[in-house]
Amino acid sequence: MADGVQILRRNRPGSKAKDFCRWPDEPFEEMDSTLAVQQFIQQTIRRDPANLEAILKMPEAQDEGVWKYEHLRQFCMELNGLAVRLQSECKPETCTQMTATEQWIFLCAAHKTPKECPAIDYTRHTLDGAACLLNSNKYFPSRVSIKESSVGKLGSVCRRVYRIFSHAYFHHRAIFDAFEKETHLCKRFTYFVTKYSIISKEILILPKLDDETPISQTVGESEA
Amino acid sequence: MDDSSVSHHNGGQVGSQIGVSVNNKQNEESSQSVQYSIPGILHFIQHEWARFELERSQWEVDRAEFEARIAFLQGERKGQENLKNDLVRRIKMLEYALKQERAKFHKLKYGVELQQGDVRPPPEEPPTEPEPAEKAQWKQGRQLIKQYLQEIGYTDTILDVRSNRVRTLLGLNNEEQVEDPNYRNYDNKFRERCGDSPINSLIRKYDYGGKEQRKGGVATGGGYNEEGLSNQETAAVFANFEFLANQEMDMDEIDDLDANKPHHTSGKQGEEVDHEAEEVLNELNLLTESEADGGGQGDEYPVGGVVGGVAAGGGEADDKPLALGELAQLTVSNEPEAYDVAGANKESFRKTWNAKYTLRSHFDGVRALAFHPTEAALVTASEDHTLKLWNLQRTVQAKKSAGLDVEPLYTFRAHTAPVLCLAMGAPRSEECFSGGLDGTIRVWNLPPPTADPYDPYDPAVQGPVLREHTDAVWSLASAHGRLLSASADGTARLWAPRAARPLLATLRDDAHAAHPAPAAAADFADGGARAAVVYRDGTLLLYDLETSQVVVRIACESAAGRVRAHPALPLLVTAHEDRHIRFWDAASGRCAHAMVAHLDAVTGLALDPNGLFLLSGSHDCSVRLWNLDTKTCVQEITAHRKKFDESILDVAFHPLRPYIASAGADGLAKVFV
Repeated sequence: MADGVQILRRNRPGSKAKDFCRWPDEPFEEMDSTLAVQQFIQQTIRRDPANLEAILKMPEAQDEGVWKYEHLRQFCMELNGLAVRLQSECKPETCTQMTATEQWIFLCAAHKTPKECPAIDYTRHTLDGAACLLNSNKYFPSRVSIKESSVGKLGSVCRRVYRIFSHAYFHHRAIFDAFEKETHLCKRFTYFVTKYSIISKEILILPKLDDETPISQTVGESEA
Repeated sequence: MDDSSVSHHNGGQVGSQIGVSVNNKQNEESSQSVQYSIPGILHFIQHEWARFELERSQWEVDRAEFEARIAFLQGERKGQENLKNDLVRRIKMLEYALKQERAKFHKLKYGVELQQGDVRPPPEEPPTEPEPAEKAQWKQGRQLIKQYLQEIGYTDTILDVRSNRVRTLLGLNNEEQVEDPNYRNYDNKFRERCGDSPINSLIRKYDYGGKEQRKGGVATGGGYNEEGLSNQETAAVFANFEFLANQEMDMDEIDDLDANKPHHTSGKQGEEVDHEAEEVLNELNLLTESEADGGGQGDEYPVGGVVGGVAAGGGEADDKPLALGELAQLTVSNEPEAYDVAGANKESFRKTWNAKYTLRSHFDGVRALAFHPTEAALVTASEDHTLKLWNLQRTVQAKKSAGLDVEPLYTFRAHTAPVLCLAMGAPRSEECFSGGLDGTIRVWNLPPPTADPYDPYDPAVQGPVLREHTDAVWSLASAHGRLLSASADGTARLWAPRAARPLLATLRDDAHAAHPAPAAAADFADGGARAAVVYRDGTLLLYDLETSQVVVRIACESAAGRVRAHPALPLLVTAHEDRHIRFWDAASGRCAHAMVAHLDAVTGLALDPNGLFLLSGSHDCSVRLWNLDTKTCVQEITAHRKKFDESILDVAFHPLRPYIASAGADGLAKVFV
C-alpha cells in the first residue's frame, strides 16, 4: 500500500519506536479529518516541542474555541507523563495535601464535596476529571465546533491543571525539571494560558522558568 | 367394611351356636323322646345350606369390595407416578428450553451459536418410557386395573381425581369443568365455533394429533392427558395438550417425522385463509408457528451438530430435532417473528449488532482493547499513555443518541509512551497486561468493578514490569498463565509474568538472526503448545514452545499486522496490509483461503470464542463480521473516524457475553450489542 506516490501516515504494527509517527508533515489545509486540529498540534509538537510560538500559532480561519480545546486536551494528555513520574515519588504520607507554596491548600473538586486529597490523588483525580469533562458528550459533543458556554469550562480545568505543575515544581523539583526538559510542557502551558488569557496572571505562581523574575506571589482563591 | 365382616363372623358363630343348641335340644329330646323325622332333617340341612350360601355370597361381595379398593389405590398410585414422571419430564423440558433460550439469546445478541456442551436435549425421558418388556407388563397391568375399575364403577371417581389434580397442577381452576371429559369434545366445540371455514384443515391436524396421542397414550403411560383435561377454553391448556401430543408422537417411530411435515404445510394454509376465524387463528398461530419452527430447527440442527463436532447417532438425531422444535415453542411465543427468521434459514439469519456504548475518555487513539473474561467490563489502551477500565453496567444515558456513555472506572498510568497492546489474564486472575512503545510489558491488577474512579491511589494496581524487550511491544497474548509478546526488536518472548524469573523463552528466527524483521503480532496456537508470530516482512512462523524452534515457516508477500489462532481448529488467520485476510493451515502451512476483506489495510482481528465468526477492523473505518464457515461478510459497521490515515486499530469479542467492541484512532472505543 505504501508506495511512493501516496504517503500513508500510519503506525504499522511492528514499527520501531523511533519510527512511531515519523511521517512527513501534512499541511493543515490538506487535513480533512474531524481531528485535523489535534493532528496539526501533535505534528507541530513532534517537530520541535520547544518551539512554543509555532505550536501555539493558530492557523488562519481556525475556530479559537476548538483550538483552545484541542490544546487543553493535549496538555492533559501529556500531563499523564508527569503524573506517572509523580506516582513513584509523591506519596500520600509525605504530600498529605495538595499544596504549592504554603499559602493555599487546594481541595479536590472531583468529589461531591471538595475535599483535601493527598497531592497524588488530587493529581490523578484532576486529570481523570478533566478527561471526563473534555470528552463529555454533554459539553463537548463535537471536536469541530464548540459551544460558547462550554469554552468557559476550559478555564477551571486550566486552573486545576496548573496546580499539578506548581506542586511538582515546589515539592518534586527533580521530577519537574526532568519532565520539563523533555516536554517543555509547563512553559507551553504558561504561554498558552497567558496568550489566551485563560487564567489570570496572579494565579501563575511559578517563576518564569527560563528567564525573568518570579511573578506576583498573590494568588487566587483556593476554591476547587 | 371391617364392621360388616365382623358382623358376618359373629353371624357364623351365632349360627354354629344355634347348631349346637339345636343338637343339645335334640339330645334332650332324644333323651326324652326321640322324634327325628326325615323331612325335619332335610329341612334343617336345607336351612343350613341356604345360610352358608348367604354367608358365602356376602363374603364374595366383601372380597370384591376389597379388590376394588386395592385397584383404586393402585390406580391412584400409578396416576401419581405418571404425574410425577410427567412433571419431571416437564422440568427437564423447561430446563432444556431455558438452555435453548440462553443459546438463542446468545445467538441473537452475538450472532453466533452458543457451542456449549450442556446445550443438549434432555435424555429421552427414561422414566416415562420403560423398556419394551416392562412396558408390555405395565400395559397389561394397567388394562387389568382398568377392567376392575370399570366393573366396579370407580372409573369416574378416579378420573375425576386425576383430572382435578392435573388442573390444580396446571394452575387452572376446575370450576368450569364440564361433565364429559373428552378430548374430542373440544375439537367438536371448536368445529362449531369455526363453522365450515377452511380452518378445518387446521382442526384435522389437531384430530391427527389427538389420534396419535390416543395411540401412544396407553403405550407410553403418559395417558393422563388422554382423559384428563379437556374443555378449558384456554389456549394454555390446548397448547399444553398439543405439546404433549407432540411429545407422544415424538416418542413414536421415525415416520412421525414425516407426519410432522404435513402439519407444517397445513398450518401454513391455515394462516393464509384467516379472515373469518381470526381470533381462533390467533390462538392457534402460536402453535402453528412453533411447529414451523420445529421444522426449521430440525433441518438445521444436524448442521450445528457437525460444526460443533457432535456426531449424533441416527435414531437420536431423529429425535432431537423434533424435541428441539417443540421445546423452542415454549420460549419463542412472544417473539415469533425474530425466531421465524432464525428457524427459516440459519445462513441468512444474523443478529444485527448495534452500537450501544461509546467509551470516550482517551485523549488519543485507542490502540487496543480487551474484554474482562467474565464481567461486562473492558480495558482499553491508548496512545495517550494510559489504560482505562470500563464497567458497561455503570452508564450515563447520552442526551440525544440512543447510545450510552460510559465513564472509565480506573485509569492505569505507568507507561511513558503510547500503549500499543493489551491482553487479559485468565478468569478470576483479575489481571491484565499491556505492552507499550516504551518497550515495557506491565502487569496490572484490575480494581474491582465497583471501584470509584476517584478513590485514593493504590500502588498495588501496578504489578511486575517486564523490561527485556528493547523496542516497542506490539502484541500480547495470554493463555494458561503464560504471556506471549511480539516486539519490534525482532523477537517474540514467552513469559510467566509473575514468576521470579518471568522470561521463559525468547523466540528468534535463526534464519534472519543478523537482521531480524520486527515482529508485528503473536498468538498462542495449538492449545498453547505453539506460538504463531507474524513479522513486518510478511513471514509467518510457528514456534514450538517446548524447544523454541521454528516448526512451520510461511512466507507471504504482504505484511501482516495481526495473527489469531482458531480456538478449535489448526487454523491461523492473519490480517494484511494488502486488504486481505488470509487463512492458513497451521499443520501444513498451506494457505487455506485468502480474501480481500476490506477497502484498506486490515488492522484488527478477533475470533469469537466458539470459532464460528471472525471480526475484522480496517483503516477503511469499517468493522466487519464474517462467517468463518462460508467466509462471507455477515455485517459491516462503520465505526470510527480517521486520524491521519488510521482508523480502526483493534476489535474484540467478549469471551462470554454478547458484546463486540472496536477501538479507533479517533480516541473512542465502541461496544456493540
